[in-house]
Amino acid sequence: MTKTEVNEMSKIQLGDYIVIQRQKYTKLQKFGNLDTTSMLGKEQLELRGLLDQPYSATFKMCPKETTPSKQRGQRNLRLHTLELCNELEMRDIRDRLGISASGADNRDIIDDGDSQALRPQDIEDLREQHSESTKIIEKIVENSKTFHAKTEYSQEKYLRKKEKKYFEFVQIHRPTLRLITEIYYRQDADKVMGMRMDTLSQLISYSGVSAFGNYLMYESGTNGLLPASFLNSMGAGTEATLVHMHPGNVPQKQAMLALNLPHEQLQRCISVNLYSVLREYYQGEGQESTEVATEPSTPLEEIEPSSKKQKLNDDDAAPTTTSSTSSDSNGENNTSPLESSVNIPVQAQKWQVENRRACELMRAKFDGLVIAAKEHPSNIVQALLPFVKSSRPIVVYSQSKEVLMDLHVELKSSSNATNLHLTSNWLRYYQILPNRTHPEVNMNGNSGYLLTGYTIG
Amino acid sequence: MSFLKPKEVIEEGDTVTLYLTVNSMHAIEATPTIVNKKGETIEYIFQTSYGALKVRNLIGVTYGSRVELSKGWAYVLQPNPELWTQTLPHRTQIIYTPDISMILFQLEVRPGSVIVESGTGSGSLSHYFLRAIKPYGHLHTFDFHEARVQQAREEFERHGLGDFVTVYHRDVCQLGFSNELEGKADAVFLDLPAPQLAVPFAAKTLKTEGGRFCSFSPCIEQSQRCCIALQEHGFTEIRSMEILQQEHVVKTRTLPVLDLEFLKHKKPSSQKLNESSTNESNETADTVKTPKETKKVLTSSAPPTLPGHTGYLTFATLPPAFVR
Ligand SMILES: C[S@@+](CC[C@H](N)C(=O)[O-])C[C@H]1O[C@@H](n2cnc3c(N)ncnc32)[C@H](O)[C@@H]1O
Repeated sequence: MTKTEVNEMSKIQLGDYIVIQRQKYTKLQKFGNLDTTSMLGKEQLELRGLLDQPYSATFKMCPKETTPSKQRGQRNLRLHTLELCNELEMRDIRDRLGISASGADNRDIIDDGDSQALRPQDIEDLREQHSESTKIIEKIVENSKTFHAKTEYSQEKYLRKKEKKYFEFVQIHRPTLRLITEIYYRQDADKVMGMRMDTLSQLISYSGVSAFGNYLMYESGTNGLLPASFLNSMGAGTEATLVHMHPGNVPQKQAMLALNLPHEQLQRCISVNLYSVLREYYQGEGQESTEVATEPSTPLEEIEPSSKKQKLNDDDAAPTTTSSTSSDSNGENNTSPLESSVNIPVQAQKWQVENRRACELMRAKFDGLVIAAKEHPSNIVQALLPFVKSSRPIVVYSQSKEVLMDLHVELKSSSNATNLHLTSNWLRYYQILPNRTHPEVNMNGNSGYLLTGYTIG
Repeated sequence: MSFLKPKEVIEEGDTVTLYLTVNSMHAIEATPTIVNKKGETIEYIFQTSYGALKVRNLIGVTYGSRVELSKGWAYVLQPNPELWTQTLPHRTQIIYTPDISMILFQLEVRPGSVIVESGTGSGSLSHYFLRAIKPYGHLHTFDFHEARVQQAREEFERHGLGDFVTVYHRDVCQLGFSNELEGKADAVFLDLPAPQLAVPFAAKTLKTEGGRFCSFSPCIEQSQRCCIALQEHGFTEIRSMEILQQEHVVKTRTLPVLDLEFLKHKKPSSQKLNESSTNESNETADTVKTPKETKKVLTSSAPPTLPGHTGYLTFATLPPAFVR
């Protein structure tokens, strides 16, 4: 890659997916056009100011003139522009407030619910007057009767809480698999089948996916996270391919698109409908056009739940994406085999080309099989195992252990696979601070389960 | 040469995973002869708990096949980092798949990444890095133990990975990662007793557009010192965690089912008052004789021993130079 290319790549461009970070909160957003806005809690951000600015930079949320006709009830929604800020503006909030004289313990604190002299309305008005969170927090601290009686520890906690609410800086990152996984899991773990980062990381390892080889995947709804993980590990400009089977008319692709990968790399993920491609493989081409439309109705339902609650792209004005998000919300599922076969009957449609490519790879067989199904995986495994070469990894993910226990028994007695392991994970975060190191108070108890093994014979 | 890419047939010189049972695997080199202690070239016979294997016979066999041992059989699998980690010759403590997977994920390693690692140790983690960065990336791995450096170098070469890795003999806590590597790395990984001493060098070796950092430490004090150093050297997003993978042993159990209902009612025959005592003893004899009802249940349980601790993983980001 040339130097200029690298520089171009580190600048925020129209069409990019971006990650907006405000303190610990992160959000995935498509920067579709100059009028794109993004909601952060009650704040609405105009993204136009990001264009051509470098990734990893910090921007200040500057309140925009509010329209005079503004009603009292609408006060909650605030519009901001984003301005690149220098790092001096980012000094430690504690220094800027110059807090000292903290109590040794909290014996003098009486929480009578009345320790803050400012009324909520006063704080609202403050926000109208000052854009800087530090100013607002300063005022809140001044008016807190208990702040100076708090221990340093609780002062910090109090400040952090206030800061979180009024913090006016955001950072823009280039989306990476790590950031996307975190965002998806936090926003709605169900939409990625509860696939936690540790389990996903192991699924990637056990599958053996790399820049070499052809991989087979069945996935019924991870918002594109699973195929995105594979593309990420397959790399740009390599020979690896992925056949991505899904149960719907349109594959969920958002996570894949969010990685802003080169076209060549995206092309090596061949997304096909499970029924359609298996029928073509066994019965040959031509069976398709009439029958695809009559696929079981479940597939459609599989797509919808994940898009209805989809909030990632709120203001995504670009209908060109094939992500489930935009297609469903606009009711334009027109890439579905049925409709497109009506509209463009002559040329081979994309899905037909993809089916053909997939069948070719199925005949040559794959170097690994990964399944993350909402359905019972037994029949899927049975149907797809014949397409996997010998001595290759199999990984099946499920949210419940019992499902994989069944499969474990079946695979063991079938003698198609060996070295079978059923695992789950335990993940604990730590606060590491001088004299205050301890595991974080909350843990997430649901890692999901993996059944791994190797094909034999 | 069997680590480069997926392949189908065992060739001479391949490292092969010999799979006996879930708890018994070996890594062996497919070579017809070996040199014994007396310096003589002899037929390579590999001994397992299921008897001997004439290694010569493996050459030309398809990976995944069943091979005969003198007292049983085994499967031959193409090795990969997961299988290698379970069979490699331990020269040091090593890191295992669950921690390693998180390390790769958090360090955002992908084909083309340039990775700096220390110490090399037994090369368990290195093999995963190499799989992930091929064919365009490079692994620079450092250890101050000369013999380990040499062994690692030879191993990577034998595994067909030599082109993607450079092994350095160097004390990274004192000398860092060399001037040539300044500003070259996408990610730095440390598994050292004193990671905090290498943190300043890590900051130097990461690219100007920034990068990711990880340190693995068995002891929390090491992580603490590391976190302080990271903060001092401009790292952000400092996050520490611990991962334990749990195995669930799946078994079908056959459990006897007790019939306790009949105890509530007298048997019709026992309703005759004067015979009651004899009947009762008959009854017990009856139930013992009739085949007991059983139920098959699919169960999962934790293995009797499982890892309780491996290490603390600390991750951090070095922001691009313009915002440091
Ligand atoms: C626990 S081992 C690493 C194991 C490795 N991560 C693996 O998975 O196989 C630690 C290694 O660090 C090396 N080491 C310790 N201090 C070092 C230093 N200051 N510079 C370079 N290597 C060092 C040791 O020689 C040892 O081989």
